Amino acid sequence: MAGGRVDQERDRLLVSRRTLLKAAGTMGAVMMLEKNAKNWLTAAESAGPGEKVIPTFCAMCGPGLGCGIYAYVKNGRFTKVEGMQESPINGGRICAKAHAAPQWVYSPQRLKYPLRRVGKKGEGKFERISWNQALDLIAGKLKEQKQKYGPESLAILSPARRSYSEFLYRFLIAHGSPNYGHSGICAMQKAFAFTYTLGAAPVPDVPNSKLVLIWGKQPVYSGSTRGNLKQILDAKDRGAKIISIKPTMEPDVAISDLWIPIRPGTDAALALAMLHVIIQEKLYEPRFVAQWTYGFEKLENHIAKYTAQWAEPITGIPADQIIALARTYATTKPACIDHGNGLEHAPSSNSAVRSIAILMAITGNLDKPGGDIFQGSQGTAMPKSVHLRERYTQEWVDKLVGPEFPKAFQPGAEGTSSAYYRIFDSVLTGKPYPVRTIIAPGTQPTVSTRGVRNVLEALQKLDFYVVVDVMRTAEMNFADIVVPVATMYESDHPFEFGGNWIMARNRVIEPLGDYKSDYEFWIDLGVRMGYGKDFWNGSITECINDQLKPLNLTMEDLRAKPTGIVFPTKPMEYEKYSKIFGRLSSRFSKAPYLPQGKVAIYNTTFEENGYDPLPVWVEPPESPTGTPDLLKKYPLILSDFHTSKVYNAGWLRNVPYLREVLPYPTLQIHPDAAGERGIGDGDWIIVESPHGRMKIKAQVNAGIRPDTVMALHGWWQGCEELKLPGFPLLETGANTNAMYSVDYAKAFDPVVTAMSSQTLVQVTKA
Amino acid sequence: MEKSMERQYGFYFDSDRCVQCHACEVACKSWNELELGVRWRRVLDLWSGQFPKVTNKTISLSCMHCAKPACVEICPAKAISKRSGDGIVIVDQSKCTGCRSCAAACPFHVPQYGRTGTMQKCNLCVERLEQGKQPSCVATCPGEALKCRPIEVLQESSTKPAERLTGRTNPALFISGRLTGAELLDLFTSKS
Repeated sequence: MAGGRVDQERDRLLVSRRTLLKAAGTMGAVMMLEKNAKNWLTAAESAGPGEKVIPTFCAMCGPGLGCGIYAYVKNGRFTKVEGMQESPINGGRICAKAHAAPQWVYSPQRLKYPLRRVGKKGEGKFERISWNQALDLIAGKLKEQKQKYGPESLAILSPARRSYSEFLYRFLIAHGSPNYGHSGICAMQKAFAFTYTLGAAPVPDVPNSKLVLIWGKQPVYSGSTRGNLKQILDAKDRGAKIISIKPTMEPDVAISDLWIPIRPGTDAALALAMLHVIIQEKLYEPRFVAQWTYGFEKLENHIAKYTAQWAEPITGIPADQIIALARTYATTKPACIDHGNGLEHAPSSNSAVRSIAILMAITGNLDKPGGDIFQGSQGTAMPKSVHLRERYTQEWVDKLVGPEFPKAFQPGAEGTSSAYYRIFDSVLTGKPYPVRTIIAPGTQPTVSTRGVRNVLEALQKLDFYVVVDVMRTAEMNFADIVVPVATMYESDHPFEFGGNWIMARNRVIEPLGDYKSDYEFWIDLGVRMGYGKDFWNGSITECINDQLKPLNLTMEDLRAKPTGIVFPTKPMEYEKYSKIFGRLSSRFSKAPYLPQGKVAIYNTTFEENGYDPLPVWVEPPESPTGTPDLLKKYPLILSDFHTSKVYNAGWLRNVPYLREVLPYPTLQIHPDAAGERGIGDGDWIIVESPHGRMKIKAQVNAGIRPDTVMALHGWWQGCEELKLPGFPLLETGANTNAMYSVDYAKAFDPVVTAMSSQTLVQVTKA
Repeated sequence: MEKSMERQYGFYFDSDRCVQCHACEVACKSWNELELGVRWRRVLDLWSGQFPKVTNKTISLSCMHCAKPACVEICPAKAISKRSGDGIVIVDQSKCTGCRSCAAACPFHVPQYGRTGTMQKCNLCVERLEQGKQPSCVATCPGEALKCRPIEVLQESSTKPAERLTGRTNPALFISGRLTGAELLDLFTSKS
């Protein structure tokens, strides 16, 4: 029993600490203990009667392994959360979401037991079934479809990446399907463009930098509460210059020295124009360019048309400001670019990221202290992956229903993948074949991908839809089977590993319903399918211990160290050019990412496969410069925020402490744009694009471009405790994803999918 | 916690390190198990300027445990008192009649009233302080914008220029960064 083991360990440590304090009373002894687990023990020691303090991971966001927390349990009830001091990820600090975890766990929206749909799709009529029935029904359908239509008729949608993600891959590969459905708008788009330009994706070395360009990123609400955010605040305190490039004034802009209020979806144009300035004014590092880049001369000619004057009407940034920005970046040494997810939502995404990669390279900021660096492994052994990628053959790639990246570039770094939206499209068009079963574990296709209308139609038509979740989901009423899984606070596995820290997940409370963990669900379903050999014959203990073998650990060993093990880190090595530029790719050929062993400014691999070898500008599907005719009817640009201070994608609106902070979906609108329309702060308004409508509240804000409006995506949940409403997925709802084009020719990046989140809208008072 | 008679505990807030993440606000609610609608700590925004030269400043505020608390002075039931030794302003729930005189008296709109109708507010997480821990808001602040110490220690240990908030009630708050004390006070005089 997990809780028992943690309790025993706490008692042992507390007794030995008290004994030591009494007997020795020396600083040395105390110091030695403090290094070990002082803070968890301090918390445990100060617990009140009937109260326990359990170290574990936060489960309120992803991707990533989660911050370390102390979970407080009083008389069997999970009551509160504190940040774990021992965690190298968050060092004792946590965010608003992490603190609200108990309300999430006890939400009335929680699923309670497995369900089978008995009414029509969308109607919401279900009956309770047992876990055995649920597993039998799913396995029965999958076996039947595998025989009739082939294993590729199954697709599994990707949730935010966490340690369960590789279990989805394992199940798909054991089954024989390549259709891991990745969003096509998150992390992998940037990773692809960086890797095929620089050999790997670099990260900003903010602690050593004199200038930080925060570009299309929200460092405050993204990722762990300590990493990037603390680095930026510390950089500011020591006098480094911070410049933020984004359409609205967010907290990172507020602390910046300069705000470049760019139009949504035009980052590629800005980056191309910066390259133009830097090349024309010879502000690049000629030695690095000569030794480590391929195709610079071709870029010199190609870039001639992309002047700052050309970029001004596209980006909305005055040419002289673009020139000044380029000069500042090229001449402040060292400088880094802190790049974010905002770059992955436009048909020009691949070119935007490639241009930014080239900026880093030619200015000599690549893999140098204070520039953008390649973080190698930390030098510790890694747990064994549960992925079965060694089984891939060309057949897997050939069978992809809607490749997220072109087939010539598959399998990608994470494995083979189809774009989430294209899987639904296959159901509607039957092209190249219709997917028959979609499993959605911890992901909501109607609020997570564009083309909501089509997704709903596909769900109506789909043979078999399985929802695996902790909470009611936006489109649960279309599910044939609903599988309720435990929150990570109700589970005693797995371990999590990241950077130089490994820790067992310790159970906080007993499951509140008829739950299994996500991990157990995939293992049990695997066994049910006859893939028992690949699923440790149903044993979660063997599964975990198998993964821990390379570290010479078992889960029991880990459990004996409740706050985990922190491994020593290697000192950072810089300028690893020959190593990184020579990396072998994830494709079957293992051909290097960079054929010339140099930065691929001119990309011959792209050229061979029919894609632009140099970065090019592509207009969003609708924009002031791309479709000026639309401006009369739709005069404002709409885009959306990917993340927020209190919510995650399409989740957490049901958590009262969080909903109190942001009670309603809002559209940020400049006072001039609002005034012209007679709109006041807090008014309900209608936002209409060529593709959809939403009803939302106005948030009049001086910190936004006057020609742009922006909303937070992911609204649908209500909050019963606060009596605040939920929102429909279409029309009078607040679903930004319903607003955008899903025209394959215009709205998708031709290489990396990257679905556009820009359109033109009109805004009127409701 | 040390308890010499002269000590006055207070907060330090660095507006250059606050990023409006609301972790302090939710940590406070969660730790003190506050009912919905009650806020012992608030994150407020101040906007100025015209696009694109816009300025946004932030303040995270709770009860500032004033040296001369207006709430203590006005309370007809003598339910509010200032502790000797640490200066923490506390409310005796058994004495409070819920008359809301304190709401009108406090210049910073601190007093909160929940289901019971009696006044509640930040007590500086006094139990945590007594266990050698920081208040919940301070302990969690990802940007390290908040500190809580005896006010003279805050003043001495600040590595940045910091000013003590002025005003009739002499609030125990030091602020540094781009937000000035005058701007903070103005926020309340202009609104009330």
